Amino acid sequence: MKPFRRRGDSYVARLDPAEAGIVGLLLDQLEQLLSGEDEDVEGDEVLARLLPEGHRGDPHLAADYRELTRDSLVAGKSDDLAAVRATLPPDGGTLHLDADQAGAWLRTTNDLRLALGTRLGISADTEPPAELVSETDQQLAVYYWLTAVQGSLVDSLAAGRAARR
Amino acid sequence: MGVDPASARRPKLGGVAGPLAPTRSPETVVEVDADLDRPWVTIVWDDPVNLMTYVTYVFQELFGYDEAKATELMLQVHQEGRAIVSSGPRERMEHDTSRLHAYGLWASYQKDT
Repeated sequence: MKPFRRRGDSYVARLDPAEAGIVGLLLDQLEQLLSGEDEDVEGDEVLARLLPEGHRGDPHLAADYRELTRDSLVAGKSDDLAAVRATLPPDGGTLHLDADQAGAWLRTTNDLRLALGTRLGISADTEPPAELVSETDQQLAVYYWLTAVQGSLVDSLAAGRAARR
Repeated sequence: MGVDPASARRPKLGGVAGPLAPTRSPETVVEVDADLDRPWVTIVWDDPVNLMTYVTYVFQELFGYDEAKATELMLQVHQEGRAIVSSGPRERMEHDTSRLHAYGLWASYQKDT
């Protein structure tokens, strides 16, 4: 992977074929989850983190909020996901994103990290795996790889905003 | 990250911070006025996944805060477990909460206490 950097008005990165494949699989999982097809208990936990309660402590206000916002939040996440899929080179290669596409990547990589992080029980003390022995090590490695991708995109977008001032 | 809500600082945001002073009039029922005037707030809670740089970026993007203000709020979330990021009428706080949820931040709204 070559991390994101800003080039003029666009945001550029490079993914290896295996990395593009992993992102594609994660997008499939997220899409399934958002469409309500994934009904295991872990999936519920992840959904609760992706679409949190709006109000804590008052069930009526929480229900109001859900009714008011849930559909548009799911639609927004699905649109972002579709934009990421449309710009992902399936066999790896260079990504060229405009500002809107970069925003979609920013939010979707965050959702993917929230989903993985919830499944893995990430805490403030979690550290990258020293070696890749177990399945969990592999997933942790993917989580930290996504963190690097998203981190480089945040930095590039922040630099882009500073440059426009 | 544990936090005593009573010790959480209340930054002044948009000139609305805390209850408005009740009108001094003998006919006024002060309790009711204070309750009606009490603004609602949007709170962002600490979570172990969202990057500090990302949270700062989102605060600037959604609320138009400059980098110093956004960084201060992000640090408050990180160190104290939560921060009030906006305040005003309930409908606007619902809207702010949903905009934060669209970015995956852990947010909720409530009446200011």
